[in-house]
Amino acid sequence: MRNSRKKIQIVVLLGVLLIGGYAIGKTLFADDNPIPRAGDRAPDFSLLGADGEVHHLSDYKGKALVINFWGTFCPPCVKEMPEFQKQHEKWEDSEFEILAINLSETDLVVSSFLRQFDLEYPILRDQKRATERMYGLRSYPTTFFVKPDGKIMEVFVGGMTEEQINERVERLLQT
Amino acid sequence: MIHNTKCECGHQNYVGTVLCESCGKPLGEDMHSQEPLEMRYDGVARRSQKSNPNWIDRIWNFFSSVKIAVYLIIITLIGSIFGTILPQENTFISGNPADYYGPNHGWFGEVYYQLGFSRTYESWWFITLLVMIGTSLVICSLDRVLPLYRALKKQQIRKHLSFITRQKVVYTRELDVPGETFAREMEGQLKRRRFRVHRDGDALLAEKNRFSRWGPYINHIGLIIFLLAVLARSIPGWYMDEYVTIPEGETVPIENTNYYLKNEQFTVEYYTDDEMPAEMAGQLRAKLYQTKAVLYECTANCHDLVEEPVLEEVKRHDIIVNSPLTYQGLHAYQFDFDDTPKLAAVEPSLINKETGENYGSFDLRMINPDLHYEVGPYELELRSQYMEFAIGEDGNPTSLSRDPNAPAFFFIIKGPGLAEEGETYLYFPRQVDKQRFSQDQINSHISDRLELSVGSMEGVTFAGATTFLNIRVDTAMPYVWVGAGISMLGLIMGFYWNHRRIWLRVDNGKLSLGAHTNKNWYGMRGDVASALKKVGIEVDPKSLDNGGKN
Repeated sequence: MRNSRKKIQIVVLLGVLLIGGYAIGKTLFADDNPIPRAGDRAPDFSLLGADGEVHHLSDYKGKALVINFWGTFCPPCVKEMPEFQKQHEKWEDSEFEILAINLSETDLVVSSFLRQFDLEYPILRDQKRATERMYGLRSYPTTFFVKPDGKIMEVFVGGMTEEQINERVERLLQT
Repeated sequence: MIHNTKCECGHQNYVGTVLCESCGKPLGEDMHSQEPLEMRYDGVARRSQKSNPNWIDRIWNFFSSVKIAVYLIIITLIGSIFGTILPQENTFISGNPADYYGPNHGWFGEVYYQLGFSRTYESWWFITLLVMIGTSLVICSLDRVLPLYRALKKQQIRKHLSFITRQKVVYTRELDVPGETFAREMEGQLKRRRFRVHRDGDALLAEKNRFSRWGPYINHIGLIIFLLAVLARSIPGWYMDEYVTIPEGETVPIENTNYYLKNEQFTVEYYTDDEMPAEMAGQLRAKLYQTKAVLYECTANCHDLVEEPVLEEVKRHDIIVNSPLTYQGLHAYQFDFDDTPKLAAVEPSLINKETGENYGSFDLRMINPDLHYEVGPYELELRSQYMEFAIGEDGNPTSLSRDPNAPAFFFIIKGPGLAEEGETYLYFPRQVDKQRFSQDQINSHISDRLELSVGSMEGVTFAGATTFLNIRVDTAMPYVWVGAGISMLGLIMGFYWNHRRIWLRVDNGKLSLGAHTNKNWYGMRGDVASALKKVGIEVDPKSLDNGGKN
């Protein structure tokens, strides 16, 4: 009698610990799609490039990255593009890459835009704003500086001058 | 201090027993009083009460206390209030919650958001309270129902005299018939009143509707199932509450599933003035929102960016309000729509302005148009497209957005009478844009010879309405209903029936009768009085009241 009582107590308390622990733990470590900020890991994506290839973020593992979201309809974005090209040329020999993600525009819009510029870094095409949403974009352009370990160093909202870009890329490459 | 828990009848009781489990004799402090007895749980000890509790017993005892349970419930109720002050994050369909609270509710909103009250019901402390209430429910019930079951299972027929005379319904008198004869007559009468009667010579125990005592515990079992079902929603795949936006004719993937949903047609109908009362005439009252939807399951290339996914139709349903598309636990409810007309395609004709000759027309889509067109002897090459045309600061054409709000198409036209390398032509499908941006002036080098234009409304196609659907999966729902059903059953058992018991014994020709019920003492006294009347003892039911709280 006494023994079975003890058993019931332990079984009930263990059950509470398991189920309750799971439920409470879930709230404490909830990962409900937070907006990536400095210090967070850059969310993974797979996007079709303007080159017709599929680019995965993981392809660039170990490289310092600049992920830039741009659209032809956003003048500061357009203004930045040649600056990024200069940076691309400058750091060509380093473990560094620039990924420019277009904001879900149509094929012709993007291709006719690209014809006017001579851009050598990968241009990726977001579809139905999925990646944009994943990265929690609120205004354009927005640029993510990602360290070689995949963590975001800085999120810059708005257009940048060449100097501003250069200073950040240098910091990025030092890490 | 050692408690002597042995009753004078020889029964060994547990620590904390109020009334001897066997004969019912009051034990402990209550022993010498003459007040009506406290009959809760038939005076049995709570299971967990021990004279030397260890740490497991202490945790157990904490949750075993009804007082603690009541406090937990009160704290949870107060905690829930916080979730009702401002809208909760999970009610937002889109947008960043951080942008909502501060700007809309000032410093209070900011503090509210920072303290996590915007997610009250998913917060660690709220879930902790629920888990504690659940634990308390299980332990309180177990600790009480098992001893009570045991006590009611093997009740002694002949109870201690002080147990009988200290009930709230009591009757005593000298009898002029032998005790056993009287008891036998009472047995017959009580059986007719649907009591279950056990007689031991001149002592008797009559009992009715004992099952109602299990009502609260069945209710608790239901609540525990309910709580577990709600917690089970956090199992991956068990719960989803998402919104999808589908323009007419398009097929979109449902995130985190293998399904795709197509909006074949969206219809909204309004009541005509004839169908509505006169005072509502002229108002827009929706009669029907309907999405002709098709659900597909993806069988290959599901997340491939290059290949088109292979889709297999699994369900087709006309979704209207309260009639969702349902397939294997997934529901798609009509939620909203947008029927603002949007240009989808135009069919412009190429016209010779000098002769008026129409060279023919072509189909020009706003989204992903073809790049080459041949119209009569002319060849048109689409070089650029602007979704919302504007002239930028640098004087070059640009677009203000990615939606076709003011589309413009930049063509190179080649053909007879035109320059070898072709001539440029900027075309605005919308008449309003054509005038605003002076299409003819931009194309002045060619505009007196050739023109692209849409002859009539027949050449214009508008995109159908966009439907917004709410996609829900709630695998836990059947368990929630089962829990709620069991809980209701328990409540009905406990509320609509009551457990009535009558004990009597005759000692040297003196009848002592006591009765107990858990509610409706009026009915209890009525039962006793009418049984007594049938055996020839007239007694006013009210006079049976022995005082005490009812």
